[in-house]
Amino acid sequence: MTVTTPPRRGFFNNPRARQEALAAYLFLLPYLIVTLVFTVGVILFAFYISFNQFNLFTWPPEWVGLDNYIRALSPKGQFVRSLVNVIWYVIIVVPLQTSLALALATLINTKVRGSQVFRTLFYAPSVASSVVITMIFWWLYLKTGYLNYFLTQLWAAFGAEWTAVEWLNNPRGLIQLIVQAFGGDIPSSLWYLRGPSVTWMAIMFQNIFTTAPTFMLMFLAALQEIPPPLYEAAAIDGANNRQQFWKITVPMLRPVILLIVVLGTIGTWQVFDQVKILTAGGPLNTTLVPVYLIYSEAIGTNGPPTVGYASAMAVLLAAIIFFFTYIQRRYIESGTESF
Amino acid sequence: MNKKLFASFSIVLILAFALTACGPAATEAPAATEAPMTEAPAEEEPATEAPAATEAATESTDATEAPVAEGVIEVEEGATIVFSGWGDDTEQQVYRDSIERFNALYPDVTVDYQPIPADFQTKLKAAMAGGTAPDVFYVDDQLMTAFGPTGQLLPLDEYMAEAGVSRDDFIPALLSIFTLDGKTYALPKDWGTLGLVYLPEAFADAGIDEPTADWTWDDLKAAADAIAAKGTYAGFCQGADWARFAPFAFGAGGAYANEDFTTAMVDSPEVIEAANFIAGMKEDGSLVTAADVGAGWCGEAIGKKLVAMTYEGGWMVNYMRTDFADVEWKAVPLPTGPEGKADVIFTNGIGVNAATQYPRAAAAFAMFLTGRENQGEIVETGFAYSTHPDQIDMVVDPNDAAIAQGGTFDLTRVAYWGPNTGKVNDAVSKALERIYLGDQTVEEAFAQAQEEVQAALDGQ
Repeated sequence: MTVTTPPRRGFFNNPRARQEALAAYLFLLPYLIVTLVFTVGVILFAFYISFNQFNLFTWPPEWVGLDNYIRALSPKGQFVRSLVNVIWYVIIVVPLQTSLALALATLINTKVRGSQVFRTLFYAPSVASSVVITMIFWWLYLKTGYLNYFLTQLWAAFGAEWTAVEWLNNPRGLIQLIVQAFGGDIPSSLWYLRGPSVTWMAIMFQNIFTTAPTFMLMFLAALQEIPPPLYEAAAIDGANNRQQFWKITVPMLRPVILLIVVLGTIGTWQVFDQVKILTAGGPLNTTLVPVYLIYSEAIGTNGPPTVGYASAMAVLLAAIIFFFTYIQRRYIESGTESF
Repeated sequence: MNKKLFASFSIVLILAFALTACGPAATEAPAATEAPMTEAPAEEEPATEAPAATEAATESTDATEAPVAEGVIEVEEGATIVFSGWGDDTEQQVYRDSIERFNALYPDVTVDYQPIPADFQTKLKAAMAGGTAPDVFYVDDQLMTAFGPTGQLLPLDEYMAEAGVSRDDFIPALLSIFTLDGKTYALPKDWGTLGLVYLPEAFADAGIDEPTADWTWDDLKAAADAIAAKGTYAGFCQGADWARFAPFAFGAGGAYANEDFTTAMVDSPEVIEAANFIAGMKEDGSLVTAADVGAGWCGEAIGKKLVAMTYEGGWMVNYMRTDFADVEWKAVPLPTGPEGKADVIFTNGIGVNAATQYPRAAAAFAMFLTGRENQGEIVETGFAYSTHPDQIDMVVDPNDAAIAQGGTFDLTRVAYWGPNTGKVNDAVSKALERIYLGDQTVEEAFAQAQEEVQAALDGQ
């Protein structure tokens, strides 16, 4: 990930080099302008707005200092709630989708008959737009939908009866369900101990299903880069398949794993579509996520737009994502170096 | 690509979401003021009495053939105004016809109708922030709270005075939602309310009498119990929704906030009584949600013959006609609560962009759309109720007429609680949701809602 700079040739003394550089900048100009206006400019503006109260229409905005940040970080506030939800999401989705992607890629890479067909099949969900996939899952998850129907049939086959679950309207948390199985319960004042809700886990499943195939392709490309002699040498030395996988494949894939974990983490922190379409943050705020909260505050779904507050949350979210990406890079890259 | 780029990339994504309005907001049926509709709103602005010429046209129900009711005002030469609203094909046709009628009066004004069928409020806020909003557009409570206090809407009083349009021409409760500091920022274009919609065959099946206008809550519960016990149909369909709950709260004498929108009132004994009634029905199974029976909303549950009763509004007429033409359904006014008859009113208005290039033409168009003549035409299509008190009786469909009566009850209100109405109503829906899901008792849920509503009223 390093940028190679060309050797200095005395830029100011060399008219030809100067001309080349000018030409280069000229070609870059359209992109640079777009970036300056729509990326850098917007970031700086959002940062400025985060210290103001701004309703989208009245200019100039009203300076309120750190009020928006204080409000966002108040322990009873919705932003903290959304962070807890999304942390569960990251913790569960990233490892699962990464390992699923790696497993699928390894399987397809074995060149069994029909691997091309499987590759296409597996990749299909990633080609469709996430909104389309989400609508399909909505059908699956309805109380009278296909998932409950399938489970009813399955249970009936074993002589049992399946009680239809409202997958998209079930606020009971994973930990809460376990506690309830032992006859206890966790009151809603201790919501943060309840764990991800059934609805939230249903959305996690959908996200894994949709995202893993994209990462599978990236793994597949990386797998094909690994020089076959490594495996041949290992085989001669008597390494079995499992040893080859853990001692050759995984270490050789380290840079790709880093990329996928980082992309996956950023993607999961920014989960939005599914929440917007399926739950709007409910039930009982158990699927409320930062980006959805930022969106609804900025656009004023339930009142006047509070763009300053939304920007403050956006800045905080960016800082959090930056922090986790940095940690992951250090952790995984240091491993790469030792290898 | 480095770390900083990742971070910046993410901010951009977030802002892209936040600032470009890429999706719809979960919009709700709009609502208006706290004043019961029989009371006149407090108003001091220079709304002049309608001149004699206007009065003449207002008496008969035959407003369609009346001469020009509201005076034509002088407009800018060669004015072109853009008009936007939400709505399906039916609604769009209603407004295309309206524009044709408008052009008969104002042949030189070009109206460019640009309907926005989905995500209207989100798109309009984005357009307003970007300076590309239409000249004339629908205004609901959400847009009023976003645009009114920030000066994005043109006060219409001056033009109303000129044209001889009085605030007294409209049903008072409807207008107060669009009134701020004594100025009129939009004129109500139509309104709706709820009725007890039912499936006669379910009552025949259970061998009980069909609902009447004299029903009380107890009759509702007894019938729902009987039908649920029979098992062919579910009893009463109602979601965790502030709007459908409002008639119960109002009928018990409660409200979500006090008169000047400063104190939350959702933990009052009246609201708790209403919630207990609902929670009781939910618990013994005579009340179901649309999802429980596999429908998208309770109106659909009626169409699919899954439930016997629900609270729905005039939109059922068109919906049933298009989607379930062979299903027989009926409607009566809502059952009486412990404190009397109550209903909830929704309304939408027509407002003018303060930044319009042609304020006179835009105001003339807004006044024409909401005027007696045009609303008289619209009400005859069965599309909506007129916002003029003397045109209430013009509702054609008998079921629709029964539903519309809810607007005249003593305890009927508009669920409007000031600039933070959306958050207040949302807190009530959330409390009902917690009760429905068995997560909290009625008292716990509304104690929490009380805190949330208070915070919302305090502007937090």
